[in-house]
Amino acid sequence: MSAVEAAPRIESRSNRGSATWMVVPALVLLIGFFALPYLTIITMSLREASTRAVYGEGFTLAHYTSALRDFYIWGILGRTLLIGATVTVISLLLGYPVAYHLAKSRSRWTSLLYIFVLSPLLVGLVVRTFAWMIILSNNGVANQALQAVGLIDFPLQLMNNSLGVTIALTHVFLPFIILPLLGNLQAISPDLAMASRSLGASRMRTFWKVTLPLSMPGIQAGTILVFVLSISAYVTPAMLGGTGGRTMSVLVVQYLVDNFRWPAGAALAIIMAAVAVIFVGLYLRLTARAMRRLP
Amino acid sequence: MTALTIDRINKRYGNLHILKDISIPIGQGEFVSLLGPSGCGKTTTLRCIAGFERPDTGRILFGERDVTRALPEQRDIGMVFQSYALFPHMTVAENLSFGLEVRKVAPADRQRRIADVLAMVRLEGYDKRYPRELSGGQQQRVALARALVIEPSVLLLDEPLANLDATLRDEMRFFIRDLQQRVGITSIYVTHDQAEAMVMSDKIVVMSAGTISQFGSPREIYERPASQSVAGFIGRSNTIGGKIAEALGQDSYKVETPCGSIGATGPAGLSRGADVKIMIRPENINTRSQAAAAGQGAGEGGHSDNVLSGSVVNSVYQGSANQLAVKLGSGDRVIVDVNGRNPLEVGEQVALRFAARDTWLLAS
Amino acid sequence: MTRASSGVEKTIWDRLFTVLVAAIYIFLMFPIVLVVLLSFNSGEFLAFPLEGFSLRWFEALFSNKRFLDATLYSIRIAAVSTVVNAVIGTLAAIYVARHATVARDYIRLIMTAPLLVPEILTAIALLFYFYEIRIGTDYSIGIQIGHIVVTFPYVFLNVSSALFNFDRSQEEAARSLGAGGWMTFRRVTLPAIKPGIITGCLFAFVISFDIFNISLLLKSLGSNTLPLELFDYLRFNFDPTAAAIASLSIFMTFAAILIIDRTVGLRSLRF
Repeated sequence: MSAVEAAPRIESRSNRGSATWMVVPALVLLIGFFALPYLTIITMSLREASTRAVYGEGFTLAHYTSALRDFYIWGILGRTLLIGATVTVISLLLGYPVAYHLAKSRSRWTSLLYIFVLSPLLVGLVVRTFAWMIILSNNGVANQALQAVGLIDFPLQLMNNSLGVTIALTHVFLPFIILPLLGNLQAISPDLAMASRSLGASRMRTFWKVTLPLSMPGIQAGTILVFVLSISAYVTPAMLGGTGGRTMSVLVVQYLVDNFRWPAGAALAIIMAAVAVIFVGLYLRLTARAMRRLP
Repeated sequence: MTALTIDRINKRYGNLHILKDISIPIGQGEFVSLLGPSGCGKTTTLRCIAGFERPDTGRILFGERDVTRALPEQRDIGMVFQSYALFPHMTVAENLSFGLEVRKVAPADRQRRIADVLAMVRLEGYDKRYPRELSGGQQQRVALARALVIEPSVLLLDEPLANLDATLRDEMRFFIRDLQQRVGITSIYVTHDQAEAMVMSDKIVVMSAGTISQFGSPREIYERPASQSVAGFIGRSNTIGGKIAEALGQDSYKVETPCGSIGATGPAGLSRGADVKIMIRPENINTRSQAAAAGQGAGEGGHSDNVLSGSVVNSVYQGSANQLAVKLGSGDRVIVDVNGRNPLEVGEQVALRFAARDTWLLAS
Repeated sequence: MTRASSGVEKTIWDRLFTVLVAAIYIFLMFPIVLVVLLSFNSGEFLAFPLEGFSLRWFEALFSNKRFLDATLYSIRIAAVSTVVNAVIGTLAAIYVARHATVARDYIRLIMTAPLLVPEILTAIALLFYFYEIRIGTDYSIGIQIGHIVVTFPYVFLNVSSALFNFDRSQEEAARSLGAGGWMTFRRVTLPAIKPGIITGCLFAFVISFDIFNISLLLKSLGSNTLPLELFDYLRFNFDPTAAAIASLSIFMTFAAILIIDRTVGLRSLRF
């Protein structure tokens, strides 16, 4: 009996051994050019600054301490988080109805609507942000329209501030919350809603008591995705944020590219990442309570 | 008194006519099965009763109340789904409490009713569990309890046993039937399993292609099927083609067939010369080897007995019985059940004997 | 009474909901449609009213050597990324689906990691790293590796999902009929997962064509990708030529979407 069992085991082991080469190129790529590089952000942030080279001889924590003592940086960090939180909340409010509609839709237009959701995702960020510049600039489409209907006499400042960045980022990242929600909602058996109605619950009550609690995983995944993406976004705040809508990413790139202060820029990048991790961690603990009953 | 009336409902999806003039009267406390192959309209009928579909024409009455246009939540139904549809984020008690909360039942009252119904489905002590912590059969019983605890006027069951394994399914048939009779609730049960429908129902509605083929008690449907398709769908049956030679009484006839003249029972009013099929169930045929029959004489079973001769072409051992295939002189094949040990072998000549009252004539 | 009124209310809520959803769909599509409209407008400004149909901005675009060079450069980078990932992404997906055992979840995590962290951080990391290992940004190799890393998960995930949906007993059937490992792969497995590979590759190409942060930080001197060129152009100009560039990129994306939709269906996309 043991011989019978042993035979396939030996065979599968030899199979496994001979197959390892398949994953080697990908591992080389992702360890050599992804994992290791991330370590260099940390080492870079600890280097001393230098005026003659990219960094000096020794190691120091000065970049962290000076950044954390800088009210300007705190301000930008605060603005970045505020924009991120606002974008996340609005995306959820706009994305949920779309995901819900798409999950229930049986019409032959469903596929077209799905393209509507997907396409903003696949059109480049620069292009989409440019489109929002056309809409939000002082003599842009939005101001033209508002003036045409007589709501305003003078153009509103819709760009070069947090407002413009928030609007554009919401558009840019909306698909990232719709898609996880859609997957989640489609996985909920329609029988559950029918069971709820058969027990006498109205459609509203069915939504609040059954559908919404069961879609918490999708909400959690989607909101985290949108939050992380929007606080780390560079293109949109760089293009239409101006100085009034400058975020951490813009500041970091400015340090790296314009000011050539790599160690200080690395420290800022790590502060940004750390704050994101802390916020996501807190959020996970909060939402875990709402999800503890789910399978 | 009818508890539920389905009155000439029609339903179309585009070109498809899903339900054609379906009418079913259901009495108070009756257990009625909608039986048929998939696509016959049984599930659509149930969904119309539940309110998840709205018939294009026709009415649905709960007692005297016209609910045709009412929303599902306004109908006072209890429904059990094939998938059970238990709320996965709620415990057993919360699942049961859901419908009671909607009905604004006081908390103390809720607790008592939940405890009662859990006892009824033999799940005391499971109230804190989540559905995923229960076996399939237990989930099934919670689903049943959830539908019953609100004391609905009608219980709707949509293939509730289809996801259970065979042994458990047999057990649950009797469990559900017993529970239904104790509670006395009017129930409509959708199934494609004829054995299930036979053992559970007061009445069976046999459906096919959007119409009702037959509506009657299990006995009527089994012994007096309305058509060849019903006969074929419910149990096994043999048919022998022939022509009415003469009417012997109100429901008994003499039929001329290629195997000779056969006495048969059938619906009243069949006219001489009409083409008919004689249906005989395999368990109603007695078999003897030709040699044994010759030794015993023919008149033993009375004058209403028919005797046909043929040869055994196949024999299948089925444990409690043997199933023989016998080829008649006319070329027709007949399936016969033989109890106990089978002394007959392939190629042997046999005499088939059956009573006229065990046959039924089907118009062909 | 309540029944009738709730019936009416329900349809009002239904309509309101439909209007809301329609408005959000419009919000999603409006900016993209706007750019395309304005790129064909003969007027001088990126504003309404539209003055007439014209291809002048596309002519301006195609007579601009910088844009042409950038387009070709972007295509080259995207093509190399796609081909490299088609090979190593497919191999890795097969390994994880068929052979990996103990460390499967960790390998899968590593394979999708570039998708899980912000692109800007990866760009910064690679910028420092290339400096440290003396590759630097003098040549295109840096930006090319960056694009390969960031687009890798798209191929890996799409092929993995195709493998997951593929009934393995087909492979066993082929083996039982006497086919060897390579023959089974070539004649049974590969045809079955081809849609996943195609989808992943199209996706990788489009993403590589579009991404910005990696290109911004890792570009070598004198060569810009198209998004970079558009970004630079918009710092000093704001005219319909930019809309023409944007339109071009949008057309390319929609071509990819159409191909995916026609061949394998959009819903099979994984990202």
